[in-house]
Amino acid sequence: MKPRWRNPSLIAGGAIVCALAAAAALGPSMVAADPLAINLNLVLAPAGWAHPLGCDALGRDVLARLLWGARISLSVSVAVVAVSVTLGSIIGGTAALAGGAADELMMRLIDVLLAFPGILFALALAAILGPGLLDLTIALCAIGWTGYARLVRGEILSLRERDYVVAARALGSRTERLLWRHLLPALAGPLIVRTSFGVAAIIVAEAALSFLGLGARLPTPTWGNMLDEGRAFLLIAPNLTAAPGAAIGLAVLGFNLLGDGLNRALDQRR
Amino acid sequence: MRGYIARRILVLVPVALGVATLTFAMIHLTPGDPVVAMLGENAAPADVEGLRHTLGLDQPLLRQYFIFLSHLLRGDLGQSIVTGAPVANLVLERFPATLELAAAALSVAILVAFALGFLASVRPGSGLDLGAMGFAVLGVSVPHLCLGPLLMIAFSLRLGWLPLSGRGGLAHLVLPAVTLGTAMAAIVARILRQSLIEAQAQDYMRTARSKGLGQRAALVRHAVRNAATPVITVLGLEVGALLTGSIVIEQIFSWPGLGRLMLQAIGSRDYPLVEGCVLAFSLSYVLVNLLTDLLYAVVDPRVRLG
Amino acid sequence: MKPRSRARGWRSPICRGWRLAFTALLLLAAGCVILTGCGRARESDRSGDWLRVEIETSPSTLDPRYATDVISSRIGELIYDSLVKADSRGGFAGDLAQSIERPTPTLWVFHLARRCRFSNGKLLTARDVKYTYDSAMNPASASLKRGSLAALARVDAPDAFTVSFTTNGPFAAALELATLGVVPAGTPANGPRGLPPPGSGPFKLARFERDEEVVLERNSWWAGQASAMRGIVFKVMPDAIVRALELMKGLGDFAENNVPAQMLGDLQGRRALRVVRYAGVGYQYLIFNFRDPRLRDIRVRRAIAMAIDRQAIVNSLLARTARVASGMLAPENWAYEPEVATYSYDPAAAARLLDEAGLRAPAGEGPGTRFTLVYKTTGDEERRSLAQVFQAMLAKVGIRLDVRTNEWATFYSDIQHGDFDVASLAWVGINDPHHYYTVFDSKMLPPHGSNRGYYSNAKMDELLERAEVEMDRDARRRIYGAVQKLAAADLPYVSLWWQDNVTIMNRRVRGFAPYPNGSWRSFAMISLDGTGEVDR
Repeated sequence: MKPRWRNPSLIAGGAIVCALAAAAALGPSMVAADPLAINLNLVLAPAGWAHPLGCDALGRDVLARLLWGARISLSVSVAVVAVSVTLGSIIGGTAALAGGAADELMMRLIDVLLAFPGILFALALAAILGPGLLDLTIALCAIGWTGYARLVRGEILSLRERDYVVAARALGSRTERLLWRHLLPALAGPLIVRTSFGVAAIIVAEAALSFLGLGARLPTPTWGNMLDEGRAFLLIAPNLTAAPGAAIGLAVLGFNLLGDGLNRALDQRR
Repeated sequence: MRGYIARRILVLVPVALGVATLTFAMIHLTPGDPVVAMLGENAAPADVEGLRHTLGLDQPLLRQYFIFLSHLLRGDLGQSIVTGAPVANLVLERFPATLELAAAALSVAILVAFALGFLASVRPGSGLDLGAMGFAVLGVSVPHLCLGPLLMIAFSLRLGWLPLSGRGGLAHLVLPAVTLGTAMAAIVARILRQSLIEAQAQDYMRTARSKGLGQRAALVRHAVRNAATPVITVLGLEVGALLTGSIVIEQIFSWPGLGRLMLQAIGSRDYPLVEGCVLAFSLSYVLVNLLTDLLYAVVDPRVRLG
Repeated sequence: MKPRSRARGWRSPICRGWRLAFTALLLLAAGCVILTGCGRARESDRSGDWLRVEIETSPSTLDPRYATDVISSRIGELIYDSLVKADSRGGFAGDLAQSIERPTPTLWVFHLARRCRFSNGKLLTARDVKYTYDSAMNPASASLKRGSLAALARVDAPDAFTVSFTTNGPFAAALELATLGVVPAGTPANGPRGLPPPGSGPFKLARFERDEEVVLERNSWWAGQASAMRGIVFKVMPDAIVRALELMKGLGDFAENNVPAQMLGDLQGRRALRVVRYAGVGYQYLIFNFRDPRLRDIRVRRAIAMAIDRQAIVNSLLARTARVASGMLAPENWAYEPEVATYSYDPAAAARLLDEAGLRAPAGEGPGTRFTLVYKTTGDEERRSLAQVFQAMLAKVGIRLDVRTNEWATFYSDIQHGDFDVASLAWVGINDPHHYYTVFDSKMLPPHGSNRGYYSNAKMDELLERAEVEMDRDARRRIYGAVQKLAAADLPYVSLWWQDNVTIMNRRVRGFAPYPNGSWRSFAMISLDGTGEVDR
C-alpha cells in the first residue's frame, strides 16, 4: 500500500507550517520597523498604515515583534517538543517492554517528576542555569519528557494485548519488528495530538519562565512575553494580546493538521 | 485487585519521599533567605542569628535534611517559619478550595470533551468536526492568564451573569472552572476524536457494521472501548496540568486555595510550608493516577493489573 | 434487529464498566463541588455602609509588634494608635501623646491623653505603652520590630499617663521609635500567627480570612468622632486587572497605587469612578555597586544619570503619575534641600564623559558597545517595561544593559549579596531624614544595614554621624541640606522620580484626605453616599 500524501489535512497543515517557518525566516527582513525600537510617543498606538498591528506599551511595532518572536517561539517550542517526545518515547517504551521492576522504578520516578510543581523546578533551575535560550530549552525538556513517557508506556501496554499484536507475536515476530510494524504506527495518533498542543503549552510557558529568571532575555520578543505584556491592556488595546494569541493558535492548528495528515498518510492499515 | 491497590498505596511512601527530597533540594538551591525576608535588613545581627538557631537553619544542610526526613516519616510536617502555625493545618485549611476548583474544572473538561469528541468523530472533515477543532485550537492557544480576564469581562462586567471573583456558592465556581478546564477539554476532545476515528477504521468495526449493528451501537460497543485507553491516560496526565494550572487561576480569581499558599510560601522561602504544599499537590496527583490505572482495568478487562 | 443489538450493546459488561466509570468520575467531581462549594456566601458582598478596599496581598499579621510589610502597617494604623504619628511633612505629631518634652538629649517624655480606650472598653494607660515596648524589645517574643528599636535603652511609666523613652546616647530621630502601635498590657506575644489584640484606633478587627478579606468594624469606644460607616472590608485581589474590573463593576470602592498607570485613562472615563492623584514620597532610584571599579568612577555614574530621559518616562510610561526626583527627600519633607545638582537628559555629554573615563567604544559603525552592566530587577510587568526603556536609552551612549529579571526573593537575595552592577529599587514612606544614615553610611553595609551599593565616603559619614546626634532641628536641616547636596553630586544613587499616590474611588466615597506617605488614617472620616451600584 502506498502512503497517501494527497489528503486535505496534510496539505493545509503543511501549508500553514511552511508559511509560519517562512514568516519566521524571512519576515523580519520584510518589515521596515525595528522590533526593539522604543518610541514613547507611540505608546499603545492603534493599528494604522505605518504600524499594521499597532504599537505596544513601549511604542514598539507589534507586527515586527510578532515576526521576530516567531523565530524564538517556534524554534524553542519545536526543539523542546522534539527532544521531549524522543526522550519520552524511548524511556516510556523501554519501561513498557522491559516490564517488571525496571518499569515500576521508572514509573515511580516519572510520578515524582510529573507530580512536582513546575514553578519550583523552574526557580531552582534559574538559579543553576541562569537566563538564555539554551538554558530555557534544557529546563523545558527536563520537565517535558515525563508526560510523553507515560503516554507511550500506557499505549504500548494496552496495544500489547491487541489481537493483531498477539497474533504477530505468536507467529514469531521479533520485538523490534513488532515495535516498528505495529506499535509505533498505532502510537502516532495520541502522540501527535499531544505534541501539537504541546507546542502551544511551551510557547506560553516561556513567558512564565522569563518572569522567574529563566527564558529569553529582555528585550528579545517572544510570543509568550508579548501575551504577558499585553494582558494589562485587554480592555484598551486588545490587539496586543490578540496578535500573539492568534499566532499561537495558527501554529497549533498547523501542527495539528500536519500531524493529522501525516498520520493518515502513513497509516498502513487503510 | 485488592492486593494491587494495597501495593500501589504502599508505593506512595517512596514517591512521597522522592518528592520531599526533590523539593528540599530545589528550595535550598534557590537563592533567598526566610529569616532575612522576615526580619528585614534593619534587624540586629544577634536577632538574625537567634532566629536562625531557633528554626534550626544554622545546622548543616544534610543534617537539616535528615531532621526534616525523620519528622516527615513520623507524619510531622513541622511549623511554618513565617506564621508559626502547623503546616498540616495550613495545608488542610486550603486544600478543599483547590480540590473544589480542580473537580469542577475536571467536570467541565470531561463534559465538553466528550460532547465535542463524539460530534467531531461522527463525520471527520465535516463542519462539526472543523468547529470542534477550532474550539480545541482556541482552547490551548489562550493561556489562563488571558482567558480568565476575558471571561470576566464578558460574563461578569458586560453581561453581569456571574460573579467576578472570589470563592462562594456555585456561581462563583463557573468562571474559574471554565478557565481552568478549557485547555484540558480541548486536548481530551482531540485525543478522543482521533482514537474514535482510528477505531472506526479497524476491521472489527467494519465487521460489526456488516453484521448489521447500527452506527451508534457499533461506536458505543467497540470504538469507545478502544478509544478509552489513550483518553484515560491523557486525563490522568492532564490532572497534573490542572493542579499546577490552579495556581494561576487562584491568583487571578482571588481563590483562597493551596496554590496561592504555595506561591506565598515560595516567595517568603518558608521551607516547611513549601514542602507541605508540594507534598499535598504531588500526592493528590499520584492518587488520581492510581485511579486512572484502576479505570483502565474497569474499562478494558484485558489489562491485567499487576 | 437493530433495537435488540443496541440493547445488547448497552448490556455488554465492558460498556457498562466504561459508563460506570465515567458516571462515577462525574459524580465524584460534582460531589466534591457540592460538598465544599455550597452555603458559603461571601461576606464582602455587602455594600451599603461598608467601604470596600481593593488590596493586592493579605497583611502578614496585624499585631503591631510583628507587622512590617506596607499593607499590614496601613491597616494596623486604623486599629492601633501610637504615641506619635508621621505627619505629611516627614515630621511627627502627637497621637496618643498630647505633649512631648525632651528634658535631656537622651530622655523623651510623652504625656498621654486621658480618654483613649481599647475596643474592649479598657482605658489606655502608660502601663500598656510600656508593656508594648517591653514585649517588643524582649528577645523571647521574637518581635520583628526589635531591630528597629535598638536605639532605645528603656521605656518607663512614671505615672498612669506619662511615658518616658531613654535612648542609648543622643538620637535625633527618636520620635520614629514612638510610632509603634500600642496593645493592651498582658497581651501575649504569640508571634505573627497570634490573634490580633484589641487596639484603641477608630476601627476594630472583625474578621481576618487570610488571602480573602480583612473586615474592620467601627470601634464604638474610639475617642474621636465615630465613623459614619459601619466598617471597612479589605478585599484581597492579587491580579491588577481584576482589581480594575472590580472597581468598574462597583464591587470595590477604593484602590490605591495598585492599578497599572496605563489603565488609568480607561478608569477615569467611567462615570462611577474618580481618579485622584496626589504627591507622594515613594522614591525610585538606580543603585550602583561600588565594588565594581567602572562604577566607582564618578564620570561613569554621571554619564548614566544623563543618559536616562526621566521626564520622557514619567510622561509616557508612568502616565504622569510621578515627579522627576532630585533626591531621596520629596519637597514636602521639612528637611528637603532644593539647591542640589541635577542631571538633565544629554546623551552627547554622557558619551563625552565616558570617553574621558577611558571607556571607548570599539571603532566601527554606529554606537558600539563600550561595556556591559548587569541590571537586576523583579519580573513584574512595570519593572520589565522600565528595564527595557533603560536598556534602550543606555544603548544610545554605548552601555549595554544585561537585564536579569527574577522573582522578588531571589532578586532581594542578589541585592543583599551585592550580586548586581546596577539595580532599580524604591523606598516607600520615608519620613525622618535619618534614613540617609541607614543607606549611605559606610557602617551600614549589608547584611546588617541598607547600604546595598557598598558606598563609602568619609565626608558623607562625617555629616551623617553628626546629624544623628544633633538635636536642634534647624541645625539638622542644615546638615541634611549638605548631605543632599553631596549625594546629588557624588551619585551613589541616580534619583529617578517620586511616585504620586494614585487613588481610584467610587464617587460615593466622600471625605478621603490624602497623606503623602500614603497613610489611610482619613478612612475614619469617610462617609458613603449610596450603594456604589454601577450601570454597565
